[in-house]
Amino acid sequence: MSIDTERKKLVTLVGPPNSGKTTLFNTLSGKKHKTVNYPGATIEYSISSFLEQFDIDAQLMDSPGIISLIPVSPDEKVTIDNLYNHPEFGKPDVVVVTVDTSQFSRHLLLARQILDSGFRTIVVLTMNDLLKEKSFEIDEMMLSEILGCDVIKCDPRDVKEIEPLVKLIKDNLESKTVQVHKRDKHTEEDILCIYREIEVLEKKVLKDLNTEHHENPLIAQANKELVIAGRGSSIKMPDSLTMKIDSVLLHKVWGIFIFLSIMALMFTSIFWVASPVMDLVDTGIHNFESFVNMGLGDNWYSDLLAKGIIGGLGVVLVFLPQIVILFFVLGLLEDSGYLARGAMIIDKPLSMLGLNGRSFVPMLSGFACAIPAILAARTIQNKRERYLTIFIIPLMSCSARLPVYGLLLSFLFPGKYFLSGLILSLIYITGVIISLIVAGIINRYKRAILNFEDNSSFIMELPVYRIPKLMNVFKDTYSNAVQYLQKAGPTIVIFSLILWTLTNFPNRTVNDTTDMPKGDPSVQRLIEAERINNSYAANIGKVMEPVMKPLGLDWRVGVSLIATFAAREVFVSSLALIFKVTESDDDNMSRSLINEMKNAKINGTGQNLFTTATAAGLIVFFMLALQCISTIAITKKETGGWRIPVMQIIIYTGAAYLFTFLTVNGLRFFGVN
Amino acid sequence: MTVADLHSGQTAIIKNIDFSHPSSCRVVEYGFTPGQELQVINKSIFNDPLSVSLRGALIAIRKQDARCIEVFLPNEH
Repeated sequence: MSIDTERKKLVTLVGPPNSGKTTLFNTLSGKKHKTVNYPGATIEYSISSFLEQFDIDAQLMDSPGIISLIPVSPDEKVTIDNLYNHPEFGKPDVVVVTVDTSQFSRHLLLARQILDSGFRTIVVLTMNDLLKEKSFEIDEMMLSEILGCDVIKCDPRDVKEIEPLVKLIKDNLESKTVQVHKRDKHTEEDILCIYREIEVLEKKVLKDLNTEHHENPLIAQANKELVIAGRGSSIKMPDSLTMKIDSVLLHKVWGIFIFLSIMALMFTSIFWVASPVMDLVDTGIHNFESFVNMGLGDNWYSDLLAKGIIGGLGVVLVFLPQIVILFFVLGLLEDSGYLARGAMIIDKPLSMLGLNGRSFVPMLSGFACAIPAILAARTIQNKRERYLTIFIIPLMSCSARLPVYGLLLSFLFPGKYFLSGLILSLIYITGVIISLIVAGIINRYKRAILNFEDNSSFIMELPVYRIPKLMNVFKDTYSNAVQYLQKAGPTIVIFSLILWTLTNFPNRTVNDTTDMPKGDPSVQRLIEAERINNSYAANIGKVMEPVMKPLGLDWRVGVSLIATFAAREVFVSSLALIFKVTESDDDNMSRSLINEMKNAKINGTGQNLFTTATAAGLIVFFMLALQCISTIAITKKETGGWRIPVMQIIIYTGAAYLFTFLTVNGLRFFGVN
Repeated sequence: MTVADLHSGQTAIIKNIDFSHPSSCRVVEYGFTPGQELQVINKSIFNDPLSVSLRGALIAIRKQDARCIEVFLPNEH
């Protein structure tokens, strides 16, 4: 027990999805976090200390939203196991349960289960304003008496209102620890019993603000119970505005039309809105690069810094506006409450392919990054559907592929933003269609590939529509963008360093021993071409030249493709490095890389390396190939073995090679070079 | 009669939950318990899933899962 006493005390927040739990966490921890509408979106629990002004010496943990203590999905199992005994933080000294009073009876189920397990519990009643609109109120004193624990009303968004709760947490932390006993098996009957109790309790603690108070308390009580239990009583009706909006957004015909329009709008905005911002970023990076080059003069470290690192980071930074827009729109959809509706609308079509409406959010997140998307798939209870969703997520064109498509499209259609945007949308749609075809095929042969006996189900709460809190969405987008840069940045720097070394050695010094005039740019160019052809990178690349040749590509693209296994966006920076982007007048980085690509010849043949055919082929390659080590690692972890990731690598990368080959040679056959 | 048989806008009262149905536990957890009144609010494309108003909340549920919720219409006991 000595460990227990030394350990910092732990306060855990528990609550159903959309009960204000995460908002409460944000307010208590003082660190802004995210409020999520989608059940289980807080997959990774957050832990933090309390905001300093509260003066509580304990850890605060936020757990994913659950509706009861009976786990159905792996997500819930982890949450519930961690609640009883967290491997690192132990069992909670105090559990704070949030209860949305506008759906009092449903949310009280979890609070009752927590109390039955013996936790020291504080029940926090939220959304009291919504209940008041229905002209009801909860008598928290009476509720506290019946439940035998502290009960408090509070608006978790308001720091001032939270003081009494803070005091309660302090008081409860000082009390003696209690004995927690985990119930191994809850049955349906148990839940029915709890609900019966709650229904009785509900009639006692609900205060009707409308009906006149009768002098006789017994008659008053009877009158109130009539109102609560009566048909169509306001307490049973969902938010009326939400119902009105749903009659349009969930309309049988218009619903799917609006859904498709929102998706289309989201992806086109990524391109239309971003392009002026991208030009701005472009100019900025270019200026910075010339500044560094001028400041450091002509030597190897200036070369490495300007061409390798800044240039490499720059080409990726250019695509940050698009990524920010993607995260922003996703955040808006999530915050407004629409995402759960999207899942409902798409459930039937997806279920025909062996997927689930809950696959929708992971698939959508896949457009940002496959890693969080694969984690988000944990909310899918059915194992087969979950694995199938994970299987197809890499086919969603993630944001790391944007820089690559961006580069290749501006090579193919220079200056034609509209056409590029259109083709880019087509690439995204094709990715989705391919993923659905793959899902359909696998589902067809599920006995051989994903053979699990599981019950497929779809039950999900549709949250009340809310006007998205722009501040929250902005902050969330910001932290996502920073995360993206933090993830991509170091990889790019490391690979730029490795590639720079590989392309510059062993002949780095050739430059200094030659007696030719150094100032002449064409001579300089020749020297550098000679150096790179004899470099380590060339040696590695030449080994794989036989593989690249059928695709009309050479070792330089091959080396860049190897580099993409660290992160796909590295492709652009490594191409930039290998083709030694030399700054020419006021052209910017990206455009001069395109010029280099236009002039690049396949060794010894005089044939252009980058043609319409090969660029189109590369796009096909990036659409299909599984070339991200992090994705492979997380898939292995989430599916508990190498079977699925290895199948993915073989199928996707094999298909990528085959279809690239067909695209390049097909286009050539029809005279497109 | 089960929830899956109801039309949009129809109100019904839960009579029984079929515990042999694999989704029954989840259904009960979401608050579908005998005696509760519910209303089918919307049906998605292909008439599936349904959105149901229950205990002050809106719940989306697949027809397949809704089949374990037996109901009766309030005026035909």
